[in-house]
Amino acid sequence: MTIREKGYSHWDGQLLERRFPWTPITRLGIRLAFRKKYFRFIFFGSLVPAVVFLVGFYISERLEDFQFMLQGSRRILEVNPAYFKTYLSSDFLLFMIVMILVVSGAGLISDDLKHNSLQLYFARPLTKAGYLIGKASVVVFFLLLLTLVPALLFIVFKLLFAGDFRFLAAFPWLPLSVIGYSLFLTFFFCAYTLLLSCLSKNRRYVSILIFAIYLFSDILFGFFYETYKKPGFALFSLKANLQQVGAWFFRLKPAYGIPWQWSFLILLALGVSAVFVLNRKIRGVEVVK
Amino acid sequence: MIAEISDLHFSYGKIKALDGISLTLGEGAVGLLGPNGAGKSTLLRILLGFLAPQRGQGRVLGFDIRLEQPQIRRHVGYMPEDDCLIPGMDAVTFTAHFGELSGMPRQEAMKRAHDVLFYVGLGESRYRLLDTYSAGMKQRLKLAQAIVHDPRLLFLDEPTSNLDPQGRKEILELIQDISSKKDIQVLISSHILGDIETVCSRVVILNRGRLAAQGNLSDLRELHYRLFEIKIRGEADGFAARIRALGCRVEETEDKLLKVHAPADFDIREVFRAAEEARCQIRHFVRSQTSLEDLFAKAVGVD
Repeated sequence: MTIREKGYSHWDGQLLERRFPWTPITRLGIRLAFRKKYFRFIFFGSLVPAVVFLVGFYISERLEDFQFMLQGSRRILEVNPAYFKTYLSSDFLLFMIVMILVVSGAGLISDDLKHNSLQLYFARPLTKAGYLIGKASVVVFFLLLLTLVPALLFIVFKLLFAGDFRFLAAFPWLPLSVIGYSLFLTFFFCAYTLLLSCLSKNRRYVSILIFAIYLFSDILFGFFYETYKKPGFALFSLKANLQQVGAWFFRLKPAYGIPWQWSFLILLALGVSAVFVLNRKIRGVEVVK
Repeated sequence: MIAEISDLHFSYGKIKALDGISLTLGEGAVGLLGPNGAGKSTLLRILLGFLAPQRGQGRVLGFDIRLEQPQIRRHVGYMPEDDCLIPGMDAVTFTAHFGELSGMPRQEAMKRAHDVLFYVGLGESRYRLLDTYSAGMKQRLKLAQAIVHDPRLLFLDEPTSNLDPQGRKEILELIQDISSKKDIQVLISSHILGDIETVCSRVVILNRGRLAAQGNLSDLRELHYRLFEIKIRGEADGFAARIRALGCRVEETEDKLLKVHAPADFDIREVFRAAEEARCQIRHFVRSQTSLEDLFAKAVGVD
């Protein structure tokens, strides 16, 4: 192959100063995630509960037509804030979110560390914050598609199926709760993923960490809770903490007899430590070695 | 003028990395040389806008190195020494991605990525996954991403490391083409002095955070000393000792050729007088070009 098959020519365009210079990072991250065959399977699989809950909304408005199916389980289909909380903090959805993070989030920073790509990013007019926002937005995009978007659609469909606004009049704060809890979940998982992703150059280790910490924390809680019967052990579990905070967002009684604020503080501490570690690990100045 | 800095100081704690550097980088290719710890990386970091100097000032492409760092990075291209890639991507997407991050519109970046990949010789393999690229291809790819946004100044950090002789020759050809015909100024930091000698007309030599030498390669060679290649018939040791006593450095090669490094103000007739005194016959006397290696050794104070 000879070099310069085509000569070099100057580009006569104008370089733009973008308001959000990190958007190409996010777009690329999303594209690369969808190129993975497992990811598409997991992502679309994660939308199954949304479809099931949506069917639930329809049935809840047509109870008389579905009497033969319900057989006394009317309460399950009672649409209220608990119904939304059940969707947003269900074991299945949280597990699927973790699986999505394993497949699409683990390599976000670790791959860049392994392949020295940080040097290329920071040689551009991109700040450390811009880089991290770009990476975080990939996770935010997927998680909001699984949490906020379906939950808001639930409200819209509930109103459409009901044909009136009585539901919204009864729970006027519900849209805010949905937005608040979806954002809380998203930002927590975002911090969790980026924190673990910057700790290792090996994407596999990060994947294992993301999965193992989530699962192990829950196993630990289950073990101690069964042994000592003390609800305080719920603080060990990421899942239980998320569910405790979810209960507050939807004005429900927490599942475990501990204040939701404790769970919130634990999750917040994890988020703050993620910011601290990311700030230490990602250093633009190191691009020239 | 591509870059102009004056009285630049930078310390990492108590360690002085740059100690009053002042230099001017003109047009064409400039070689940045210096032993490890000389301050090359710190200087590059400041020129790229990653570090603000603790004292001193400067401008790169007209942008202030303290106040306009993002603008500097927008208009310069940087080719790092390490292999850099994003796994799971092809070369076109990769190059276009970095063009976009530099501020190019998306479609323009994609179009331009094709052009520069052809230019660096990766046209045929531009849709191949980067993970499958050889060392030479990765080196070309790094060059492609550095020039995709058509920078006015290009920083190349060890551009020929890990390359075989043919790959090295081709990369040097590209750099020469860019610096001499494309109106892009190039600053090359390399430990391979032969590369600098091939590509650059000017060099900047740093040592212990200070400027050891800078200027046109030809001028520097003249300025410091002259090199003569001498073959004699007779007692070489006595002749060499006499020459050394006159302040010259003498090396003897395997084929009995004496390389005499003479100070700039040395009177060459002394060589013939020394030969006469040592009863030697000079059979070959040629003024040779001083190698950059010699110049570098002299500037940083090593033999």
